[in-house]
Amino acid sequence: MGFIIRMPEESRDDTIFAHPIEEEFAKLLDYYHIEWQYEPRTFVLARGESGNIIEAFSPDFYLPGQDLYIELTTMRPKLITRKNRKLRRLRELYPHINIKLFNRQDLRNMMIKYGLDDQAAAILGTQAQDDDK
Amino acid sequence: MSAYYPPEAYGELTEGIREILITAEEIEARVLEMGQAISRDYEGCNPLLVGVLKGVVPFMAALLPAITIPIEVDFMAISGYGPEAGNDGGVRLEKDLNVPIAGRHVLFVEDVIDTGLTLSYLLRNLRSRKPASLKVCALFNKSRRRLIDIPSNYIGFELPALFVVGYGLDYRERYRNLPFVGLLKPEVFQPAEE
Repeated sequence: MGFIIRMPEESRDDTIFAHPIEEEFAKLLDYYHIEWQYEPRTFVLARGESGNIIEAFSPDFYLPGQDLYIELTTMRPKLITRKNRKLRRLRELYPHINIKLFNRQDLRNMMIKYGLDDQAAAILGTQAQDDDK
Repeated sequence: MSAYYPPEAYGELTEGIREILITAEEIEARVLEMGQAISRDYEGCNPLLVGVLKGVVPFMAALLPAITIPIEVDFMAISGYGPEAGNDGGVRLEKDLNVPIAGRHVLFVEDVIDTGLTLSYLLRNLRSRKPASLKVCALFNKSRRRLIDIPSNYIGFELPALFVVGYGLDYRERYRNLPFVGLLKPEVFQPAEE
């Protein structure tokens, strides 16, 4: 299917995050000196008859040291079906790719663990993220 | 007869627990097995056991007498990520080891491996000091949320990726003294879902 590679930003300050939880996650990685890239690669999931891309998926983070992609979602479980389907499709088409999904509960528990009550509360109040990236 | 008080003796702490996942007796038995394995593997090596404060304290206290060979022990402490940590400066070593570890066989003892972020930082730090060997022993493992791959040599129990407390695991510094591990009731740590 193929993929599109985007040049990573130099640092967190240069990165425009789509969601506040992504920025918090980047801060956490920076704190522990873990190298990361934000949405460095878009995986093509489906093409139309003329070869145009009709479905794609850009995982939020890539950790080069771990060769691991991370997708974060604050969507409610009942709204996560489409994202799960995309992840399944990505794993089918790109079986060598390591990707982990951190769901709403994972992220909320992580924020609580680090004492970040405001961020945990924000996840509670979050509506579905844009699922079309 | 168990050496621990029954769960109900812990009053309001136990009231915050939805379900006991691992009993004190199960932990005790598993720690003995881990101690036996370590005694076998490190025979003649005089290993240095290194723990990171504070969560490891109950595990380390139980593990030490379960090991039947000569060992030494030391502790480290690091700053944790959080609202009061001054996060932009990165993680800081708040207490270093008292002994050099170059050429020593080091066994890093941890209460739980979760994302692996803290442990990976500490292992990188220790590796830079050129120990003869460096292995990891953790009582609990939450592999579901692992971000950093940690080669762990001794694992006690696998835990679900949920809020669990007891036996060193805390919520806001509480529950560490429970001799068992339990699921925290959601109402203790979060408001009701809207």
